[in-house]
Amino acid sequence: MSGSIPRSTALLFVIAVGAAAFIPEVAGEYPVAVALSFAMWVALAQSWAVLSGMTGYSSFGHAAFYGLGAYVQVLTWGIFSPWVSVPLAGIASCAFALIVGYPALKVRGPYFVMLTFGLAEFVKYSVIGIEAQLGQFSRLIIGGPSPNDLFWIMLGLAAAATAVMYLVSRSRFGYGLRAIRENEQAAETVGIPVSLYKLGAFGLSALIPGMVGAVMAMRMNYFEPAQAFDPLISFNIVVMATIGGSDVARGPLLGALFLVGLSELLWARAPQLYMIILGVLLVVFVLFFPQGLATRLFGNLQRRKKS
Amino acid sequence: MSLLALRNISKSFGGLEALRGVSLEVERHEIVGLMGANGAGKTTLFSLIAGHARATSGTILFKSRSINGLRPDQICRLGIARTFQIVRPFANMSVLDSVVVGALYGVRGEKSIARATERAMDILKELGLSNRADDPASSLTLSGQKRLEIARALATAPELLMLDEVMAGLTATEIAELLVVIRRIKERMSLTIVMVEHVMQALMQLSGRLVVLHHGELIAQGIPQAVSVDPHVISAYLGEPV
Repeated sequence: MSGSIPRSTALLFVIAVGAAAFIPEVAGEYPVAVALSFAMWVALAQSWAVLSGMTGYSSFGHAAFYGLGAYVQVLTWGIFSPWVSVPLAGIASCAFALIVGYPALKVRGPYFVMLTFGLAEFVKYSVIGIEAQLGQFSRLIIGGPSPNDLFWIMLGLAAAATAVMYLVSRSRFGYGLRAIRENEQAAETVGIPVSLYKLGAFGLSALIPGMVGAVMAMRMNYFEPAQAFDPLISFNIVVMATIGGSDVARGPLLGALFLVGLSELLWARAPQLYMIILGVLLVVFVLFFPQGLATRLFGNLQRRKKS
Repeated sequence: MSLLALRNISKSFGGLEALRGVSLEVERHEIVGLMGANGAGKTTLFSLIAGHARATSGTILFKSRSINGLRPDQICRLGIARTFQIVRPFANMSVLDSVVVGALYGVRGEKSIARATERAMDILKELGLSNRADDPASSLTLSGQKRLEIARALATAPELLMLDEVMAGLTATEIAELLVVIRRIKERMSLTIVMVEHVMQALMQLSGRLVVLHHGELIAQGIPQAVSVDPHVISAYLGEPV
């Protein structure tokens, strides 16, 4: 699993992204909306996996990065073009992660879960408070890019997040992150700069979610903090990455495909059932397939072929 | 100049003094055996040298440079590697990958995973683990995990290797094998070794010098034959004659 990227993988990636880019040309509004939603979850779950899959620090607060991105987008609407505001939203989320990550990454396990969840809620209520002070309860974005343009941007983000996860999981950095997950003190003892690496992974995992939030703010044409910082976003990410497996890039991809498919099947017909099934699935996967679908279906990439 | 020098090291945990004014020099290519009853401060001393804890007072010099206050990863990169008394495997990683990590970081910090894998494989052969390379680290027996600890430490390309009770819990045969292995790697990689051990046979056979800690103080040091008959050491282990 070292060295250059296998040709077949690169080819598959290019073909898949290329084919997806044609969806708006051949399909109607609804399929594009579903494809956008799929691309969004792929981008979010892959980003999450860079931190949580690789290091074992499970973030239950990624909604904060998504929401901040959306907020940056509405605040800069009319000032910058999306070509500036979307990257800016990503940078803002990344910067926020680097600031809060330093103290937050000192705790691990369930404490980190609670801390990130609490932090995201704190950010949500702070934004609600600020907006109330400003006399704003929701903001509109009118005249943004077309749904097709937004889909292409989102597809780009999904492709970028997948590439990042793929490259990280095969890199020297990735080996270091996995060692941190397996045993932090032992990782430190073999010379891995543990704090720096964790912070780097945290920052990296916040970058694309910030951009995703910005794109979604334009897609929904408005921003309302309770919705942009909805903790369900965090939960969905965790469920997708856990079901798919979060040690290699194909995991979150499968997880997103599986759950977006499931939600399409059930969402309109039985929304309550959807949430129940989601909960059951999470329990089943954590208990019986902790390494996720990807490992289940394709075996463990970590395991080399015997030479 | 000695490779490692401890100058008047003390460490207290709250009111408890784990180490009191310990001074010790370790020369290049030496094997120093560290002995003492449980609670004598041996593991604490290892933790201080490896940077997992900070001395309350005193100086630690490695290659004439003070390493006080450095982080464990920085100390590792300077050339000090350690094993843990209670093994800390990268449980879900393969045996090979566990050692690859050591080669990717540590002193050499290989940039290429392929090269790191080659080096890791050589080290696994050295320790008799190459046939288990693809198995999960957690599947090894205790003896295997102890050897994996050593392999991972060696992969960081250290000059000073600190072994914390690598013989504990092993059978007589496994101990005999490991003695051979340690002697061989010491020569091949021109290592300096400090080892904490309760298995006297291992200490007597390997160490050029024994250092005895008792209640956090260094009470004796010298060649094994002399230390083993030192009256201070005997009374520390067996108590004062009544």
